Amino acid sequence: MLELLSNIPELATLASHATHGHGAEGAAAGAAEAAHAVGAAIAGSGNKLFLLIPLLPLLSMALCGLYWAFGVKSKLPAWTTVGLLGASFGLTILAYFEIAAPGVTQIVHGFRWIGIDLSPHQEGGLELIANFGLYLDSLTILWMLFVTGLATLIALYASEYMAHDVGPGYCRFFFAFSLFVFAMSALVMGDNLLMLYLGWEGVGLCSYLLIGYFFTKPSAVAAAKKAFIMNRIGDLGLAIGIMMTFVQFGTIEYAGIFEQVDAIRASGGELPFAVKAIPLLLMVGAFGKSAQLPLYTWLPDAMEGPTPVSALIHAATMVTAGVYLIARTYPLYTLNPTALVIVAWVGGLTALLAATIGMAQYDIKRIMAYSTVSQLGYMFLGLGVLSSAGAAFHVFTHAFFKATLFLCCGAVMHGFAGQLDLRKLSGVWGMKGWRIVSVAMLIGCLNLAGFPLTAGYFSKDMILAEAFVTPGFAVLGWIALITAGLTAYYTFRVWFRVFMGPGEFEPGDEHHGDAEDEMTAEDGHDNHAGHGGHGGSSFHPHPPKWAINTVLAILAVGSLAVVGVYFIDTEHHGWVGGLVHDSTAHYESPFVHHGAAAHEIAGAHGAEASGAELAPGTFLGFDPHEALFFASGIIGAIGILIAAFLHGPTGFGGLFIGARTEAATSRADGLKRTFAPVGKWAERKWYVDELYDFLFRIPLWVLAHICYLFDRFIIDGIVDGLAKTPRGVGSGLRPSQNGLLQSYAVGMAGGLAFILLVIWVVL
Amino acid sequence: MLAMLLAIPLIGAVIVMASPKRQAKWIALAWSGIALAAAMWAAINFEWFGPASAQMQFTGSWTWIDSFGIGFSVGVDSVAMLLILLTALLSSICILSSITAINERERLYYGSLLVLQAAMMGVFASRDLILFYTCFEFTLAPMYVLIRQWGSSNRKFAATKFFLYTFTGSVIALVGLVYIAYKAFLIHGFWSFDLNMMQSAVRLLTAREQGWLLLAMMAGFAVKVPLFPVHTWLPLAHTEAPTAGSVILAGVLLKLGTYAIYRFVIPFAPAALIEYAGVIATISIVGIVYAGLICWAQRDVKKLIAYSSVSHLGFCVLGLVALNAAGLTGSVVYMINHGLSTGALFLLIGMMYERYHTRSLDEVGGLGSKMPVWSMFMVFFMLASVGLPGLNGFVSEFLCLLGAFQSGATFGVGGTLGPLGPWYAVAAATGMIIAAIYLLYMVGKIVFGPLHEPRGHHEHAVLPTDLNMREIATLAPLAILCIVLGVYPTPLLATLEHPVDRALRPVAALLDPGSQHFADGETIDDAYLLADTAADESPTGVSLALREETP
Repeated sequence: MLELLSNIPELATLASHATHGHGAEGAAAGAAEAAHAVGAAIAGSGNKLFLLIPLLPLLSMALCGLYWAFGVKSKLPAWTTVGLLGASFGLTILAYFEIAAPGVTQIVHGFRWIGIDLSPHQEGGLELIANFGLYLDSLTILWMLFVTGLATLIALYASEYMAHDVGPGYCRFFFAFSLFVFAMSALVMGDNLLMLYLGWEGVGLCSYLLIGYFFTKPSAVAAAKKAFIMNRIGDLGLAIGIMMTFVQFGTIEYAGIFEQVDAIRASGGELPFAVKAIPLLLMVGAFGKSAQLPLYTWLPDAMEGPTPVSALIHAATMVTAGVYLIARTYPLYTLNPTALVIVAWVGGLTALLAATIGMAQYDIKRIMAYSTVSQLGYMFLGLGVLSSAGAAFHVFTHAFFKATLFLCCGAVMHGFAGQLDLRKLSGVWGMKGWRIVSVAMLIGCLNLAGFPLTAGYFSKDMILAEAFVTPGFAVLGWIALITAGLTAYYTFRVWFRVFMGPGEFEPGDEHHGDAEDEMTAEDGHDNHAGHGGHGGSSFHPHPPKWAINTVLAILAVGSLAVVGVYFIDTEHHGWVGGLVHDSTAHYESPFVHHGAAAHEIAGAHGAEASGAELAPGTFLGFDPHEALFFASGIIGAIGILIAAFLHGPTGFGGLFIGARTEAATSRADGLKRTFAPVGKWAERKWYVDELYDFLFRIPLWVLAHICYLFDRFIIDGIVDGLAKTPRGVGSGLRPSQNGLLQSYAVGMAGGLAFILLVIWVVL
Repeated sequence: MLAMLLAIPLIGAVIVMASPKRQAKWIALAWSGIALAAAMWAAINFEWFGPASAQMQFTGSWTWIDSFGIGFSVGVDSVAMLLILLTALLSSICILSSITAINERERLYYGSLLVLQAAMMGVFASRDLILFYTCFEFTLAPMYVLIRQWGSSNRKFAATKFFLYTFTGSVIALVGLVYIAYKAFLIHGFWSFDLNMMQSAVRLLTAREQGWLLLAMMAGFAVKVPLFPVHTWLPLAHTEAPTAGSVILAGVLLKLGTYAIYRFVIPFAPAALIEYAGVIATISIVGIVYAGLICWAQRDVKKLIAYSSVSHLGFCVLGLVALNAAGLTGSVVYMINHGLSTGALFLLIGMMYERYHTRSLDEVGGLGSKMPVWSMFMVFFMLASVGLPGLNGFVSEFLCLLGAFQSGATFGVGGTLGPLGPWYAVAAATGMIIAAIYLLYMVGKIVFGPLHEPRGHHEHAVLPTDLNMREIATLAPLAILCIVLGVYPTPLLATLEHPVDRALRPVAALLDPGSQHFADGETIDDAYLLADTAADESPTGVSLALREETP
């Protein structure tokens, strides 16, 4: 794939100009940027208070562990977690005002985690140092703001959602939840790559523990295992990337790496091989963690976990770690255009593939999972087309609206005894007590669909526009634009099926894992009667109570409100863009500014290099930055209308073009028959899981057994055979093998003496 | 000090053998506790940091067989001291773990454990080849007894195979080592098996001789480690051994092999090692992958963990033959970490076995809902074993891989001279994925999933359903150490800096004759003179003969 892409001359050379140009030409702009990238104002010693941001969640974890040990049977773990995570969020806000607002960088030293002098006989020799230290710049703060903020809210939500499990399970849940926030903080805030790796594997562990929360359920256990192992494949790339970084730069601390990267950029010339290879290795880790091709299949399965977990870990925060990794090490990526081309293509193709699968699923949580994979693809595309600001903005808006969407799905699942099939639910909007959920869901859907003037619309647009602007990526721009239409369709498919139309439901058969008893006791219903009767006489959905409703309201308002930040600091494309601008992830694409100044920059590079090729791309002859506001809005609207037509109920609920009258069937069924078997293939996820099984898992499993047989019968057989050969000879000596320890000891001493004697004689 | 340390368990063994049957276990526990306390007392008085950590401390020497210059000479540097501490800790834990499991011939059982402890400590403490070898082989006898008397169904065969296989290997190693002593005799004109004296002979060895020596030594030590393909005694011995036997076997006995490579192969055959390190590394990597895959095909949990030891120790040997600071440090730390985490896994399996009398994944599983405390420990030590950062296994695994990656890397500022290269690290790192596969497979079967128990299972007469306080007490120290060494390994790494640097001197001198491993104005020849004169200074040995051969 690498060769293939770098052989596309247009892409490679153009990206090369886009990224390389500055240093090689030694242009003023490049030099200015190089100075910027070091983080000109690294404070000598940072504010130690910020160490508490990761440590408070750790404390919360320890407390929850103690509650477990002492058998606490109340909601104490939840309140502890909410309180301490809230405090952590408060400190992050403090850090925002101290660091991100003035745009400085702080390095806070905690303690020396791993430190080893690799040449103690020599002063100033090679040392491997990985401190428990924080690298705080505006990129870090941006991530931490939504990580700690959302974690607090979702912990509050979970306090009610997990209430049926109060006792050991509740403690276990909040233990892993707190550990996750700690690990995510370490990942984001660490000042070196090994700290990042600590957090990286740590979040993977929590993901494993939480996906497998209902551990008596085989599918949950399998999903947890799959997530961990697929992530490990990515981690392998990351680990090797870290080793290569150390060998190349002699350090794994960001500050030192960035300094050397700037030196390389300034000196120009041929890039060392390792510098080109490092981003390629790191991105493997990013693809694993952020569920990109080819390592995305674990994320949809991860929906086996409790929904708050899906919202926090598998939608809003952990899966953006890959985006963070690339953004954090962006200086390395900008040195290697091939890497960025790959990132862009992987992102774009993942976005499209996941959207096609999402269109054909029936489980609403899985649809959301595929939409997460798809949206993450957009973020990677954004990084690949030199719009780190766009990617970061999309991460930020996505965190809000996707958390909202998941929590709404969770509320539905909670209320309908685990029902997630959109063919078995309809008209939730009209049911008593579900209005807040429905409104929040609508806001989330509008954001995800990129409905004009929502936050999701602006953040997606930044990436789309950049894809068209950057020469050579127009194909990806079109893919992303089509995907936007698909996204609008599958999002509103859920909306029109589940929330609009006649009120019908069929309760699920599974009652929050292993906790039926509590459910029954709490609600006084027999949930087992769920199968069969529509809205059966014995089952009543229980709408969410205050904790869930409050959180949904806050998140829904938040999802709407984040659109505001786009209009703060417009010079840098919004507040988020401004934060990215102040960080090491900042990269000024020569194609961003479409005014005279940018043409000047592009022209200056182009003139010296290969001429007019470097002119910014256009969208059908228009300036993409303006045209796409309309184009993506129209595409999104078309997607929504198709969804209304195919799935909408009759009347206003279906925008007067729908025709659905019951939960189970819609116009789409006929369409699906027409396009058979493609629909079936998409529903079965294009058989990628089966393909991986066939290509990797089964051969490896067979190989394992072959190895075992080989070991038992060939290798061990030879050993035993050798041992038997002297048996004939040894039968004469059999009395010596009498099994008495003393005689063996005598034999040993005798043998030793004999050897010494031989030597003595030889001398 | 060291002699006392060795004497305590031996005296304990005698007393246990002479004690009333009922009290044997408590007396053994007390003596192993005293031995642990003594080891910790030694550790407190030990100078851990700075150049002194590379010196032999607590040295002592008594004549033994004078005509051959065989002495009872002991001394420890920080590497040996750490391994002695590990031995003392694991031995105490083993005795504590056996209280309810062993109900027959207790005196012999606990006596053997204490003798075993003394022998293992003797290996790490000895500064004399013959003393080393005697202790090295003497570990076999009590282990043989343990497997043969208290093992499972196929115990007799397993015990014999264990004994003969490892014994045969080490005899070959002895021949090689005695050959070096003979060379030393040629120089000095008198016999001595003191390691420092033997060291001075290394320079007389031709490359060819070193090659043979390497082969002889590796023949013995590779069996002990064990490396692929001479590992087949281990799964059998592990499955048949009683729990304590498995813990000691995995925790300490296997490390005798890697320790011997560290102590003898690197200083005595540096030139050959540089030449053949690639071969050894390849064997290690094959072992990592091959044994890892085999783990996945196991239905017997104990066998699974036994094979995982083969896979894990591949990393350890890979770190050793990387022949640089990161690799060697990682390897020594790996010895300790593997002892802690794998030892604990064997303990856990033992606890399960005591309750269910089966180790088969087909018969028992999903214990998470029945034994939550046990399951928590199981998951914890699984994670330590899989190399999760923040726990101990990660530090050592990363350093071993980094060592292999750096060794011979020709780019950047962080590479070192050495025989391997990045590709070795990449190949070995696939072991990380395989480890995740088989360990998660194991935990997924035995802890998670729906509960299933053997047909006709009855609760244990004495033990509760979940762990009792005694069992928690056997696991908790290991768990705490796993966390401490994972969160704050820096002191451990710091204490290894100087010993590792010293161990590398012969190699470094060969790889880079102009290296700063020598003091100002000191040449390689001077380094030899230094070696000859300074008795306590462990010298650099470089094959001068090698240079003579290529004029």
